[in-house]
Amino acid sequence: MEQIVLLLLLIPLIFSIVFIYSNKKLYKPLSFLMFFICSILSIFLAYKGSLSIRLTGQIFKISEGIITLSEILMILYLFKISVKHHKIGIFILTVIQTIITLFTIFTPDKSEILTVGIDKFSLAMLLIINIVGTLIVIFANGYISEYEHHHGIESKQKLFYPIICLFLSAMNGLVVSDSLSMVYFFWEITTITSFILISYNGDDEAYKSGFRALFLNLIGGICFGVGNILLKKMLDIDTLSGIIQHGSISLSLMLPVFLLCIAGFVKSAQMPFQSWLLGAMVAPTPVSALLHSSTMVKAGVYLIVKLSPAYAGTRLGTVIAIYGAFTFFICSAIAVAQRNAKRILAYSTIANLGLIICSAGIGTGVAVSAAIILIIFHAISKALLFLCTGQIEHTIGSRDIEDMTGLIRIAPVLSILTSFGIISMILPPFGVLVTKWMSIEAAGSNPFVASFLVLGSALTTLYYTKWLGSILAYPVTELKAQDKKDFCIFFPLWALGFGVLMTSIFITPIFNNFVSPEVNKLLKKSTDMYIKRGEVVSKLGTFNEAMVFIALGLVVLFVILMRRLMISSANIKSIYMCGENNFAEGENYFRSWNGKYEKAKVSNLYFDNILDEKALTTFGYVVSSSIIIICLLGGLK
Amino acid sequence: MITLINLKILIKLLLILILPPVIGCILSGIDRKVTAHLQGRVGPPLLQPLYDVIKLFNKENIVVNKYQNVYVITYFIFVVLSLFMLLMKMDFLMIIFVYTIANTSLIVGGMSTGSPYSRIGSVRETISMLAYEPILLFYIIGMYMLTGSFKISKLAYTNKPLLYYLPLIFIAMLFIMTIKFKKSPFDFSTSHHAHQELVKGMFTEYSGPALAIIEVAHWYEYVFLLGLIFLFWYTSPIIGLILALITFFLEIVIDNICARLSWEWMLKFTWTIIIGLSIANILFIYLYNVKIL
Amino acid sequence: MAGISKNIMSKSPWVVHVNCNSCNGCDIEFLACLTPIYDAERLGIINVGTPKQADILVVTGSANYKNIDVLKNIYNQMPEPKVVVAVGACACTGGVFHSCYNVIGGIDEILPVDVYVPGCCPKPESIIDGLIEASRILEEKRIKIKNPDKGVAI
Repeated sequence: MEQIVLLLLLIPLIFSIVFIYSNKKLYKPLSFLMFFICSILSIFLAYKGSLSIRLTGQIFKISEGIITLSEILMILYLFKISVKHHKIGIFILTVIQTIITLFTIFTPDKSEILTVGIDKFSLAMLLIINIVGTLIVIFANGYISEYEHHHGIESKQKLFYPIICLFLSAMNGLVVSDSLSMVYFFWEITTITSFILISYNGDDEAYKSGFRALFLNLIGGICFGVGNILLKKMLDIDTLSGIIQHGSISLSLMLPVFLLCIAGFVKSAQMPFQSWLLGAMVAPTPVSALLHSSTMVKAGVYLIVKLSPAYAGTRLGTVIAIYGAFTFFICSAIAVAQRNAKRILAYSTIANLGLIICSAGIGTGVAVSAAIILIIFHAISKALLFLCTGQIEHTIGSRDIEDMTGLIRIAPVLSILTSFGIISMILPPFGVLVTKWMSIEAAGSNPFVASFLVLGSALTTLYYTKWLGSILAYPVTELKAQDKKDFCIFFPLWALGFGVLMTSIFITPIFNNFVSPEVNKLLKKSTDMYIKRGEVVSKLGTFNEAMVFIALGLVVLFVILMRRLMISSANIKSIYMCGENNFAEGENYFRSWNGKYEKAKVSNLYFDNILDEKALTTFGYVVSSSIIIICLLGGLK
Repeated sequence: MITLINLKILIKLLLILILPPVIGCILSGIDRKVTAHLQGRVGPPLLQPLYDVIKLFNKENIVVNKYQNVYVITYFIFVVLSLFMLLMKMDFLMIIFVYTIANTSLIVGGMSTGSPYSRIGSVRETISMLAYEPILLFYIIGMYMLTGSFKISKLAYTNKPLLYYLPLIFIAMLFIMTIKFKKSPFDFSTSHHAHQELVKGMFTEYSGPALAIIEVAHWYEYVFLLGLIFLFWYTSPIIGLILALITFFLEIVIDNICARLSWEWMLKFTWTIIIGLSIANILFIYLYNVKIL
Repeated sequence: MAGISKNIMSKSPWVVHVNCNSCNGCDIEFLACLTPIYDAERLGIINVGTPKQADILVVTGSANYKNIDVLKNIYNQMPEPKVVVAVGACACTGGVFHSCYNVIGGIDEILPVDVYVPGCCPKPESIIDGLIEASRILEEKRIKIKNPDKGVAI
């Protein structure tokens, strides 16, 4: 068991080194190999169940040494880039970080113990990181060369794959560690790898976004570091499980927990800190999919959910719930006005992370379960959507959802996968909606939280429906698969699509094996809900997932039964254009008043005038910063 | 014994499947008749909607997109499912989610035809969805705060009708009904009256059997929507029914005395005043901690 | 119930109205049919916007080179069974515009016209009469499509 955990940390590292020294041809088989090894290991570990390892004596000394050494290396790297690019902000933050690191080095840990604790939640995270993450690496094989070609940048793949592998290793480390010092260490690695990957293109914009991400995440890191030290000094807690054992913390001692929460907010790009995630969209799509939707940003909410026993049921919990719900609402509103698919996905990611934080903040059994389930489902659906967007960009050369109008004609397979991804985000019976149901029901008793969730979810439906409609908007008479066939691209897409479907169908075992035990452990009480025979039952209500699946089955049955009547016997006619159709030019052309042929253009509504991105962002900054400041100044007393 | 129970469920199921379209058809006929009388006409026979549907089933099936009818079937089945769940008194929030599937399917179906007219209609329908969905959810949250459960079956144990504590949400719901029935101030996504600007909105490219199925689904939807109003006075079914019928007639009158408004106006009005009313109502319940169970 | 299955088509004839450069006289008379005085809806007649949902194509004005494609397109987009009604002198024969340089003639030069409503312009009563006649033909056409062998004389 211990070996497997160690392997999960080491194998990506080994692959990282192999990638550095192998030539380009080997990237593809290596990625597949990594996918198989990592997913088998993580599935095996998940099958074996949770465990906890204490590193003491010699091993402790070695690992402590490695951590200290790597931390010094990272700080040196940060100094180097801040001097090289003349970034004073980064320099100052690095100095502060150096002080924190020196402080921890010179106040040695008397207990001399590092703990590795793998609970059910960590297992679920491990599965996501190792399966979804490595699938994205496979996708990168088909994507990145073309991407570099498109953008006219010199190949940096020798850097790309090793860094991604390093990142996967760090994520694995982050979710298996229990000691806060280890979590902090891996946290910082993800910050730096994310900086390197965001500035992948090497142009001004990429560096600007990269440094913004680095700056904000360093602030988060400093909050984490200070919170760590305070937690140790004030409450003598240095592990995550220590927080769970300690249970609810009195308000006067809440400051370190709140600092850790801020670190989580930054990592998961919540409202005042959201700008780095939007900037990060300049990175290649696999990076966005891996770091900025399915794994790295989840580290933040992972921490916040793990901290939930400290604030569950307290006033801080309520504030966190309102804060998360507010982010959910405002980011959904901003997303409505976006045309760039990647920005829509970025805002949707922030919004969903807000929903997770909100659920964690509500702190009842149902809500925390919703948070954990949403982390799982959101990771898979978002990874699928991001990868599809990347591939669409390579197919039509644009990320604008208006340009995707009628994509189904050009690339049917890709369109269907994208549509499925979108549907899994907005409609039952898919997992994301189960969690939305759970969080709205859990939030029912607090009208502020509930109102934000209600308004936000209506807006979510709007911007996704627009996109879904655009993709499918073409009178197709026959679906011909004209997509470029690249196994590296379509294997991950199909696998993720299949994953979305399967996880939604088998929500019962997922809930029983991963979520319910974790919530019991975190909150020391039962979840107040169970999933049986496809029904999510809580004290408040029932989500009849099976019924919706049966209805979907009925739809399929009807379509097959009425195939002749409704589909194959149907006569295909041209669309109605007041009779002025032009059959030579194509479906959407008509003869206009002067006898010339014009294309009928209809676009979606974006409300740019009402939901202006700048104004809403400013509003969001003001409100969310005030929530945090009020909390820091007055709420914690 | 088991067979008896099964038989009971079967009969119930059959009733749920058969009765609503009959009621919906008659309501729709009454709608046309009353409208005609309000305009000083004789109007079509009461069963005219039925004649229309039978005729449509006998028409040729023409499509522009080979798969456009799949969306219609999805719409139909999920409308029936949401009505079924409402009559089985299940989780209210879940019902609205299922109902959302139906509407989304119709919108995407309209868009999938690629016709500019139906695309505009669909976009407008998404806007009206944005307008009415929050109100429905606020209604549910209001009900939850009063009864402590999201299940409609819990309403049977209440000692006071919902209307007593949710008057503002009732007004909001009346407003929403106009949007949902696609009645006059807000009939901009699809209607017979709007064909100068939008031909037939979302349904421009639907004809024959597909249009007939949409029409039958509308009958189910009529009953579903009036069922939502009925819940306001669940404690006494007769008053509830009267309330639902009054609402229906009110909608017909509103339809006949109003000119069509723009979607911008509707969105602004719902997202300020109507949502404001709903939140005010919910805050009132929260602050006074009212329970009716 | 027997009545329902008997006159399926004739109970709800939906009309789409196409103006082929008419002088608007016939159009106004046609629209007068829908007003409270004549109330065509009592016969189930609805004026729909799209040919895809219509049973009866009401054409006013003469056929000319400018609108020949439009008229054919709209006729083709109507689902079977369908009936064409030519309203007014221009639609029946070309009327006063007959043998103009740009006019082909009556609508029957382009489409198979089933009912002619003469007059310049025809009174609403006669238009409604024409529509009733059209809906009878509609029913016959439906039976003909259903049993292609039997064939009913029109």
